[in-house]
Amino acid sequence: MSSTIDYSQELSVVEGKPPLRSIDDAIIKPLDSKPDKKYYMALAVTISMLGIGVIGLALSFYYGTGLWGNNNPVGWGFPIVNFVFWVGIGHAGTLISAILFLFRQKWRTGIARFAEGMTIFAVMTAMIFPAIHVGRPWLAGYLMPYPNQHSLWVNFTSPLLWDVFAVSTYFTVSLIFWYVGLIPDFATLRDRTSNKIKKIIYSVFSLGWRHSNRHWQHYEMVYLILAGFATPLVLSVHTIVSFDFAVSIIPGWHTTIFPPYFVAGAVFSGFAMVQNVLIFIRKIFNYEHIITLDTLEKMNKIILLTGMLVGYAYGMEFFIAWYSGVQPEQFAFVNRAFGPYAWAYWIMVSCNVISPQLFWFKKIRRSIPVMFVVAVFVNVGMWFERFVITVTSLSRDFLPSSWAYYTPTLTDFAILIGSFGLFFTLLLLFTKTLPVVSIAEVKAVVDGAQPSHKDH
Amino acid sequence: MSEKILHSYSGIFDTPDEIIHAAEKTVEAGYTKFDVNTPYPIHGMPKAMNLEPSKLGYAALVFGLSGTLTALFVMYWMAAIDYPITVGGKPFFAFPKYIPIMFEVTVLAAAIGTVSTMLFFFFKFPNNAHPLHDTSYMKKVSSDKYGLIIQADDPKFNEDEVKVFFASLHAKDVEPVYYDMEDINASPKIYDKKFIGGLALTFILVSGITYFTLNKLMFMVPFNWMMYQDKLTVQEKSSVFPDEFGVRAPVAGTVARGFMPYEFPNEPELAGEVLLNPLVPTEKNLALGKKKYDTYCSPCHGDFGDGDSRLRGQFPNPPSLHSEKVRNWSDGRIFHVITMGQNIMPSYSSQLTREEKWATVLYVRALERSKNAKESDLK
Amino acid sequence: MSSSQSNVDYQHKPLPSSFTKIGTALLAIGLIIVIIGYFIDPTRAAFNNLILLMFLVSIGLGSLFLVGIEYLGGAVWSTPFRRITEFLASVLIVIPIIAIPVYMHMHDLYHWTHNEAVQADKLLKGKEPYLNLEFFTIRIVVFLLIWLAFYFLLTKNSKKQDTSKDQGLTKKNIKISAIFMPFFALTITFSAIDWMMSLEPHWFSTIYGVYYFSGTMLAALAATTYLLIYLNERKLLFKGLNQDHYYSFGALLFAFTNFWAYIAFSQFLLIYYANMPEETFWYLARWEGSWIVFSIGLIIVHFVVPYFGLLSQPSKMNPKRLKFMSLWILFAHFYDLYWLIMPTYNKEGIVFGWMELGFPLLAVGIVALMFGLKANKQNLIPVGDPKLIRGINFRL
Repeated sequence: MSSTIDYSQELSVVEGKPPLRSIDDAIIKPLDSKPDKKYYMALAVTISMLGIGVIGLALSFYYGTGLWGNNNPVGWGFPIVNFVFWVGIGHAGTLISAILFLFRQKWRTGIARFAEGMTIFAVMTAMIFPAIHVGRPWLAGYLMPYPNQHSLWVNFTSPLLWDVFAVSTYFTVSLIFWYVGLIPDFATLRDRTSNKIKKIIYSVFSLGWRHSNRHWQHYEMVYLILAGFATPLVLSVHTIVSFDFAVSIIPGWHTTIFPPYFVAGAVFSGFAMVQNVLIFIRKIFNYEHIITLDTLEKMNKIILLTGMLVGYAYGMEFFIAWYSGVQPEQFAFVNRAFGPYAWAYWIMVSCNVISPQLFWFKKIRRSIPVMFVVAVFVNVGMWFERFVITVTSLSRDFLPSSWAYYTPTLTDFAILIGSFGLFFTLLLLFTKTLPVVSIAEVKAVVDGAQPSHKDH
Repeated sequence: MSEKILHSYSGIFDTPDEIIHAAEKTVEAGYTKFDVNTPYPIHGMPKAMNLEPSKLGYAALVFGLSGTLTALFVMYWMAAIDYPITVGGKPFFAFPKYIPIMFEVTVLAAAIGTVSTMLFFFFKFPNNAHPLHDTSYMKKVSSDKYGLIIQADDPKFNEDEVKVFFASLHAKDVEPVYYDMEDINASPKIYDKKFIGGLALTFILVSGITYFTLNKLMFMVPFNWMMYQDKLTVQEKSSVFPDEFGVRAPVAGTVARGFMPYEFPNEPELAGEVLLNPLVPTEKNLALGKKKYDTYCSPCHGDFGDGDSRLRGQFPNPPSLHSEKVRNWSDGRIFHVITMGQNIMPSYSSQLTREEKWATVLYVRALERSKNAKESDLK
Repeated sequence: MSSSQSNVDYQHKPLPSSFTKIGTALLAIGLIIVIIGYFIDPTRAAFNNLILLMFLVSIGLGSLFLVGIEYLGGAVWSTPFRRITEFLASVLIVIPIIAIPVYMHMHDLYHWTHNEAVQADKLLKGKEPYLNLEFFTIRIVVFLLIWLAFYFLLTKNSKKQDTSKDQGLTKKNIKISAIFMPFFALTITFSAIDWMMSLEPHWFSTIYGVYYFSGTMLAALAATTYLLIYLNERKLLFKGLNQDHYYSFGALLFAFTNFWAYIAFSQFLLIYYANMPEETFWYLARWEGSWIVFSIGLIIVHFVVPYFGLLSQPSKMNPKRLKFMSLWILFAHFYDLYWLIMPTYNKEGIVFGWMELGFPLLAVGIVALMFGLKANKQNLIPVGDPKLIRGINFRL
């Protein structure tokens, strides 16, 4: 089908050459129409999942964290696994909106808004876990350095505190980035709607945006600056998450490749999640011409690339563990691959390293069912990666007398299901309240939307 | 129409090339107070409109750097000055470990600062009362058209000329845009009863909830479970043991690690003869002795051993350490007094280790010598 | 598409003769110093030779990677400059020659080649299956073969396209690049481990390959940037080189400066924080004697100066600034390699003399000559590449 790519022509980002007004129509339609039955069914499913999580959390708050599988020596069970997983999911959004923006990858426009939304929801979901893991989340205020009656300050040299700063900064900056992107769209919505209440809401959020080119100029600058800051920020967030593990001396955790390896893994899982959701979104809302198959193919290429990077890190860890000659380190890795958690390790390897290899083939990169399945595999695999890292190293550390096998409980699973419920519920609500594709940005990349550079 | 003031003239264009051309022409014609409204940023427009490059980069730099420095200063003060705690054997000011948070605060400050500067300082947002709002012009340019306005306060503005100018650009829908005086004169409704009532209600609710949460809820089930646990704390009765003591004494004959029995509990003279000070009066030992003396001895014996204590009058005054008697005592004899006590003075064995006692003796000796210095000591 | 190709305004002109003359002169002077150096102090010369080797690998292999990534990423803006990068990659051809002296002085360079030391050391004994002369030789030969094979494959197709203008060649090169990438990742990692990390055979760091890669990228990008500005100043490239082209290079240099700092900091912080003796000694060696000055200098030379030099948007588009910064970054990479390698030679402090000056001269001479040879024979821009026009007209 595409064996005859003409490299001398730029590929259109948006298929066909839709009139600009039809883009408004297509993107705003879900906001103006009543949701259909399928939507309510989907919402019912996600809210039930959320409900399960709420029950799990309520029980945990009442009876305490003893309901979970966490126990000596595995003090970091599901909560930390889920935390790292969800923060990782968030990374794809910032990557798409910031890094690909800096690289001038125009194909990002169709998916950027949506991915940014996913970032925010994923980080919100992630923030639950460290909060509940401290046991008494209502005292989480102590995580912030404020003058208190104990005249104590937080420990600024602890990576767990770095997490507090990193994740909250990440959430705030993502939210700002998202909102700045939404301002012109709110203005467009304001000028289209005939509903009075909606008009007031849109007016408030648009801040009175007038599409003035005197503003656009600063706006583009601010977008560039935000992207410039968000890019190192997204790297720093998962780097700091990796520091939680890597600054310790636990075998299997203390290894210098952790920071870039975690970042690659985060992007990997995040793209897979974006891919999973996009496939539905473009189908349901008829965005096939905006979120094109080419875009999905490019996503698959990035999934392949990051999958290989993650594979590289697995390999390097193993090699250097052997090369180091440090016994506990060597044991930790043999134990991962052949110890009691070998099953989890091999799920991780086959999902993360082997399954994306299918994307070497163009046919598969462009086949929606296959890419959906691979993306699901990648998500499963990346969850297991965090499980393997967290649990195998803790369950068998330096002192064999304290070795134990970690078994999660029903409550653990309930909270995990609840986290998915929360994430997807928020996503579903998002699709019906805000434009899931950036109207202004998509218009700017339609063929013929920019002046021809005849004068240059 | 009488309450309306002309704000500007607007014209509509269909293609990006036309609007770029129109902007260039407007600049050529010498208009300065004009604007181009397009549904998305047009490449090359700032150049066509002859705009200066955005200065927001400087805002980002200033906010970012102040974030970095604030974070550095705050952490340095809190962790190295106000309440220093050693973590991981590193210095209090472990700079590499401060870098992650410095970086995060930099980004946070820069992002919030730059966006706020743009929205609130450059654009003077929120501004929903601008005359362009709710015009058919605005509706078009926010969807698929490209618009140009020339403002009435432009020094070169002349209604007829502008109309001709628009016509020469082949603009469509050339229309005047007016200020609505009613909107401009409308006073803010801050003193509205409802508004103030709402504010007061919010205040009362928030304070009430905060009070309840912090002072009541936190002491209710299950939040108090950590406070009341199924274990004995100090001074509590036990129902398990017949003597009802919660805190158990160690098994008979238990000896603490590093414990050394004292050989001469009742023989002060023998102790004075047999015991010899193992320490030499080095600077370090004397410093240790001074520290211990100032802590444990000086409250009664006085800072310089004169017996002029800070607690004078509350107890019988201890004798001066500079008496002939004490000066003639051997080190071991003084050691015995510190260890066993004498008259009203209790034993200091539980406060001072063996080494510390000998260091204290050294310091007492130094005090004695300084109070009774001879000329030969000066050499 | 054939019509669009005809309007490239380009005619092949040879480089100014001063270019090759200076290159030859530098090469000659460098070579003389190096040969004298090998007679006077062979060990010190061997260490310097290793720096030279790694520097040339950075330029050659880094450039080859840039060529590959351009094909894979479908990048357009860099297409007009791909030839510069390709010519730089030709440095790979000389690598085997530079590697021979290193091979001859294995015993002076690498502690693990001393059999009696290995037998007495439990840790080194454990590493023997990897760190032994036979396997080392095989690995290096394989790496060199892989690099040369991909170099010839990629440049051959690119050259062929100049005349045939066949789009199929682009597609072919995309496939070759895709296959190259995993090989690249593995070879660059293990060559860095073998040639540099095993200088301290007890030390280990999983991020080492990535660290070397970050420096490699900077060196290759800086060399390309410098040469394209040099060529453009002499009107040897196409007309219409614009700010956005400069900006892209400036931005990438800036980005990789940050990336290097990120990787270097990650490695340092983790080792500093965990404080395990089996890792910290490597940094401690660089924190003793006059090395401490050199280590702090590394932060300034390799990060602070390029960071603030390229921070603002106008500076990324300013050819003069870019020219200076790219030379600076090349120097910084040399500095970095010196920091990685030389503390093994002399634990007491920095060693610097005429020998340390001779090797960089030789490096510059080799790069200039290899580039000059290629540039005088081939077109300086890929005239047959279908993406060329889009690349020339590139706007951000």
